[in-house]
Amino acid sequence: MARRSKIHVGIEIGTSKTCLVVGEVKPDSAIKILGIGETKSAGVRKGEIFDYAQTRACLSDALAKAEDAADVEIGSVYLAVTGAHIQGVNHRGTYRLPDGEPVVGPEHVEEARTIAREVHIPADHVYIHPIIRNYWLDGLEHSTSPVGLFGKTVEADFHVVHGIGTRIQNSIKLVREMPLEVDDIVFSPIATAQMALNRDQRERGALVIDIGGGTTDYALYIGGVITASGCIPVGGDHVTNDIHLVTNLPFSKAEQLKVTEGDASGDPARSVGTARLHDDRGFAEVEVSRAVLNETIRQRLEETLRLVLRQLPDGAVEAIGAGVFLTGGTSLMRGFDELAYQVFGRDIYRPESPEISGIQASFRDPRYATAIGLIRYALIVEAERVSPPGFFGRIARMFWPLGN
Amino acid sequence: MISHSRASRQIVDPASVKVIGIGGAGGNLLERIALDGMDAAGLLLLHADARVLASCVIPEKIHLGKSLLKGLGAGGDPELGEKAALEVEADLRRAMKGQQVIFVCVGLGGGTGSGAAPVAARIAREEGAFVIVLATMPFAFEGKRRREQADVAIRELSALSDALITFDNNRMGELVLAKQGAHDAFAASDRIVCESIRSIIRMVTRQGLIHLGLDELMAALGDGRSHCLFGCGTAEGKDRSSTVLRQALASPLLDQGTLLKKADTVLVHLCGGEDLTLLEIELIMQGLQKFVPVDSNLLFGATVDPAMGPSLRLTLISSLPEGSVEFASRESLASAPAFEPSPPESREREVEPIFELDRTPVVTQPSPPVEADLFAARSVELDLAAEPDRFESFDAPAEEHHLEQEAAAPLKPAVSTKPWKKSADSQAGEQQKVKLTVKASGAQSELSLDSVPRGRFEGENPNVFEGEDLDLPPFLRKKK
Repeated sequence: MARRSKIHVGIEIGTSKTCLVVGEVKPDSAIKILGIGETKSAGVRKGEIFDYAQTRACLSDALAKAEDAADVEIGSVYLAVTGAHIQGVNHRGTYRLPDGEPVVGPEHVEEARTIAREVHIPADHVYIHPIIRNYWLDGLEHSTSPVGLFGKTVEADFHVVHGIGTRIQNSIKLVREMPLEVDDIVFSPIATAQMALNRDQRERGALVIDIGGGTTDYALYIGGVITASGCIPVGGDHVTNDIHLVTNLPFSKAEQLKVTEGDASGDPARSVGTARLHDDRGFAEVEVSRAVLNETIRQRLEETLRLVLRQLPDGAVEAIGAGVFLTGGTSLMRGFDELAYQVFGRDIYRPESPEISGIQASFRDPRYATAIGLIRYALIVEAERVSPPGFFGRIARMFWPLGN
Repeated sequence: MISHSRASRQIVDPASVKVIGIGGAGGNLLERIALDGMDAAGLLLLHADARVLASCVIPEKIHLGKSLLKGLGAGGDPELGEKAALEVEADLRRAMKGQQVIFVCVGLGGGTGSGAAPVAARIAREEGAFVIVLATMPFAFEGKRRREQADVAIRELSALSDALITFDNNRMGELVLAKQGAHDAFAASDRIVCESIRSIIRMVTRQGLIHLGLDELMAALGDGRSHCLFGCGTAEGKDRSSTVLRQALASPLLDQGTLLKKADTVLVHLCGGEDLTLLEIELIMQGLQKFVPVDSNLLFGATVDPAMGPSLRLTLISSLPEGSVEFASRESLASAPAFEPSPPESREREVEPIFELDRTPVVTQPSPPVEADLFAARSVELDLAAEPDRFESFDAPAEEHHLEQEAAAPLKPAVSTKPWKKSADSQAGEQQKVKLTVKASGAQSELSLDSVPRGRFEGENPNVFEGEDLDLPPFLRKKK
């Protein structure tokens, strides 16, 4: 591959916003964010499109803004998908070498990988990622392909992400109508993790929770490999809706109150008195008891985090060494880190985004974590082409069966 | 109103209908029928194995080959099965005497079924009954020999019976989800057979507004050497006319109605309560027109049965000439070659290519083109260029919903409590009826919280996750 800078674009069609991030990958793999195009999303609910025409309008608007900001013409993109229908499962394929063949050959590894990828998924689901976690040779873990080693049994451990085919196709169709080419689709938390975690953190064990407008996506890395990923269809929209339902305020006020006054920490000291919203003339038009407001927010977010906790495999939380990384718009909620600490009992961080240059203001914001993560994902896919294969993976593997 | 008797028309007395199950598969089916309750029809089990006979709930049974086989099965040999049946010919004749319609349910390929079914069909015919044979073809993996035995038996049965309906076990995988047990698959397949028997009985035993009789049934089923298409649905509520049609077409034997395109005779039977309106009939027929060729012979019948209450029931029966059905091939996921138990020339009767059988019968959706898409997509992870569904998009529900629904697949045709969304309908029409009691926590919270306002998420499907509706504020939920 020619070593020159390359432009990658990540699209996230989120519940609250649609954003395109244009990033330039320098020959030394440094990333520079050239521009961001963002619009408020319409027609997306809980991470899934319910009004196709509106979403298309939003996307074309965001695209125009991004092209304008970055001053490039966008041809192909990486697309983040999410939704409660998408789930990740771990699956291990075991292949016993035939008698008389003491050395592991590429075909044996390939066979183990094929077996591992054959997860029983519902008929209407399709694979999004089969991500190789590691190999095992006679019970010993190998992080790279054991081709050429002596052994009897090869095992390949995969994390397979799958979701409902037609819904994913519709997201792709939307992007293609722009018209843009889709280089690859990526499950949102996996993209986010590319941005949020560095190798060391993955090695030590880290959980990324991207709590956005309509969904809460999570990805757990333990020992350097992805161990669990998934999506819970709850997000900031639900918090607003809860405030609306509990206090009977209109949505716009509920949203404003959530952003300006809400606190999720559960600290009684911050739940004293009333929260007020003032109108243009300085009169208090909305008054809500802080105790009720904060409790509504807190219960929602606590439940969401506990749902994430419940989805994780047994003993996974104890294995998290580096900590829990919170991103997404809703993670900006005051007191959210304290709440997360109460739930997980691990160090809570907001991810730093190192090794990225560009307009600081844009990528410091956790709301862009997924879209920027897509650029890093693209970089990795481009760089090793073979290893975390999305889509070209299989084709690539045909040419490089020895890869990994 | 002037009343006149139409009894001379071909109304069959329900008491003179008999369902005969032969062999293991037939026995299972009869048990299913007995559990579901069959209106007035008599049940008779023919089996060679004394242990099975002893443990079976069917009251009327005949032990085949008591002296020949000494209480054991036929051991997969149709000749033994036939001899065993001939040994008790007098008993069989006695049991079938005076019956107007006899259903012979049999799983072909084994010894008792393949051997005894032709004998039973012949005797039934000789006793003057209208004989309808419902035969289940063996799985492809059962091997060439059993398939050949089944083919021989089918040839005999097609000559001996008035109507022959075959069900292919290879398509059983499409009835249930991949995750479900084999038991569910068999139960679903039994349910379909059972449902078809029930529909036919209902059709021929009830006085119809527009009557359909055995002659129309024969016309629709063709000469017995054809591939049977069958679908039925039951629904109630406002849009019941469209729901029943959708359910009926969702039958795996119809492939979303695509197979009807080639049918030249289609029997349509509609059964409703006293509130059945002409408009509904019109709507259904209009909807159906899209699926059948314009010049096809539509045999339409309608029955008003007060016992139906507010529900409406649609039965579609048709047949295709042998060999005209090509199912979209299910590419195996496995790179290993699937076994190919019989060469193509032995696929005389069953048109589904045998090599299609997956190692895992994972296919649930009854629309093969879609399947093919998905499977293709599976092999290249996801085909970005894949066309959107050719069919109405089945907006498949979350996994839990599927499972819940499957778990709720009823034993009794409990009337469904509300019109089902299309999304849930991709299963066999039979499985639509849901017993609320089985539907576990999801349904309950849905019911109890129905009156609660949901704000922004008003009117959406409840966002049920681990039994709780996540769209409702935990603040309110936890207080209760």
